[in-house]
Amino acid sequence: MMDDERIIDLYWQRKEAAITETKAKYGRRCYAIAYNILRDRSDAEECENDTYMDAWNSMPPHKPTALAAFLGAITRRISLDKWRRKAAQKRGGEFTVSLNELEECIPDGKGIDDRITAASLAEVLNAFLYTLPETECNIFLRRYWHFDSINAICARYGFGQSKVKMMLLRTREKLLTYLEKEEIFV
Amino acid sequence: MKSDKLQDAIGMVNADLVERTEKSKTKHPKFKWTAAVAAMLAIAIGIGAYLGNSSPFAVKAYALAEAEYPTMAGYPTGEMLPGFDDRYAAWREDQKKQRAYRGAGENLDGFFAATVSEFLGGANSENRVYSPLNVYMALAMLAEITDGESRAQILDLLDADSIETLRTQAHSVWNANYSDDGAVTSILASSLWLNEDVAFKQEALDTLAKNYYASSYRGEMGSNELNRALQAWMNKQTGGLLKEYISGIELTPNTVMSLVTTIYFQAKWGTEFSRSQTVDKTFHAASGDVPCKFMQQTITYGSYYWGEHFSAVNKSLKNSGSMWFILPDEGFSIQELLTDSEALAFLSSNGDWENCKSLKVNLSVPKFDVKSKLDLQTGLKNLGVTDCFDADTADFTPLVTKEQPLWLSNVEHGARVVIDEEGVAAAAYTEMRLAGAAMPPEEEIDFVVDRPFLFVITGSDGLPLFVGVVNQP
Repeated sequence: MMDDERIIDLYWQRKEAAITETKAKYGRRCYAIAYNILRDRSDAEECENDTYMDAWNSMPPHKPTALAAFLGAITRRISLDKWRRKAAQKRGGEFTVSLNELEECIPDGKGIDDRITAASLAEVLNAFLYTLPETECNIFLRRYWHFDSINAICARYGFGQSKVKMMLLRTREKLLTYLEKEEIFV
Repeated sequence: MKSDKLQDAIGMVNADLVERTEKSKTKHPKFKWTAAVAAMLAIAIGIGAYLGNSSPFAVKAYALAEAEYPTMAGYPTGEMLPGFDDRYAAWREDQKKQRAYRGAGENLDGFFAATVSEFLGGANSENRVYSPLNVYMALAMLAEITDGESRAQILDLLDADSIETLRTQAHSVWNANYSDDGAVTSILASSLWLNEDVAFKQEALDTLAKNYYASSYRGEMGSNELNRALQAWMNKQTGGLLKEYISGIELTPNTVMSLVTTIYFQAKWGTEFSRSQTVDKTFHAASGDVPCKFMQQTITYGSYYWGEHFSAVNKSLKNSGSMWFILPDEGFSIQELLTDSEALAFLSSNGDWENCKSLKVNLSVPKFDVKSKLDLQTGLKNLGVTDCFDADTADFTPLVTKEQPLWLSNVEHGARVVIDEEGVAAAAYTEMRLAGAAMPPEEEIDFVVDRPFLFVITGSDGLPLFVGVVNQP
């Protein structure tokens, strides 16, 4: 596999080999993220391909420091958008469960202040995540960034289901408290 | 869904957080230190005449009282081991207790600005490091053992209306900056070294022990034993970082008391620099170009600050404060910056600053190890603390039972700051030189610290623990 720096150079040189190399190295990973969200093969493939297009349009000007995370973030965003457009028609499955869990991080009867952008909220989340022990942080992101199922997380970390669920519950509670303190809600 | 924005924000968290989720098993965190800093201030109080015969026996330095620091639960590790939840809860509880002390030093901006300008100014081409908090703590203790005009001058400098106000504030400042949980070490340690031939007032020593966590030791001034004990104590408190300076510190036979305060601070970067991205570049020092290792990192959600003559970015320290890098505009010197009221205000603002923009910051900063030893006597006199230094005017009545001429004979401040990258992560970087510090561009900025700069390291409550001038990394 080509190293990330060279792949990024190919994007900057506007060479289509950039896409081929990206697909070879990160295609499966992007597909997995999309599939976790959409649970549909053709939708996931479409999002994977859209990721390459988006990456092509983003580099330049971007020179990502971590290509895997950069591409994953694109796939995640595209797949979430697609899911939201389709959500009215079909709901259910593991992904919906994880989204419902995230709703618990917002107090009843309140919402996130409209004036707060997702980017500035991400800064608050960064600060919060750095306060967490590494395993707790990793499991939180496996669940709500990658949208892994509880079973997949258990397999990855060698934990039982109840431990993972408890850990996630505790992290969500901490996040709720943290966001309240940061006056994110109105 | 009402969590849509939260879902989106999670997708935008820092890449290093996402990267580490790729590992299948989490390793127990290892503490790698990135910012290791230390400072000490030694104040010697001398008397006019030799005190006479000391004990005929070799006297060992012995401790009269050892300060007891607040207990703090260790940073929890071993998530997979039994009892993790309890250890985590205990740690959080102790962190909360220390947090309650924050904000006590809010009125100290004037003191910080005046002393930074005084002690860091005139550095010419050498590096200088100064710890405002270390000096604050020593001066507060000095105020406790002085009276009359001697004390009033110190209170004025520290902007305190009474010794009681200062005592309460110093106690809170000490606690707000205290951390010893294995992950962040930040201890303002104090000690008193007492001449065994002098009768001291117990009340003064008790006040210093109780409110300033000062240990006291007594022995034969000028003896090897006491000097060794003093140096060992200082080395221990500063993690051995100041050995070079400490080895030269000796108490003379006519020292009545030496008051020594130290600060030792170690913390890990919030996001470590990648060693693979460290490159050889040129630092444009005042004395000429020098080759230097530059650490590089892109801070995706960074903040850029600017003033009329400077620009600045900060990099956060895990579970603690931040390190700030302040660059004077091209054509504007560090010395000019140290007399610029706006820049001085920025140094103690901890980012509470109007001219600030959130954007992606490509930071390039030299690895450095800077140290300096300063004699603060002239500087303190310039700042209005004069009477303590003169045997005719110094008033140390709260300290000793017998009236005798005492004065402050020596005030030495040594400090050292070391930073490096620690850790590995994938990163890429584009270099463009930043010229001037006008309004920043829309989305991204390259902040290349390749000429003399200022830095500030703030602790958990935002107060400046260290401020320094790097003329040559």
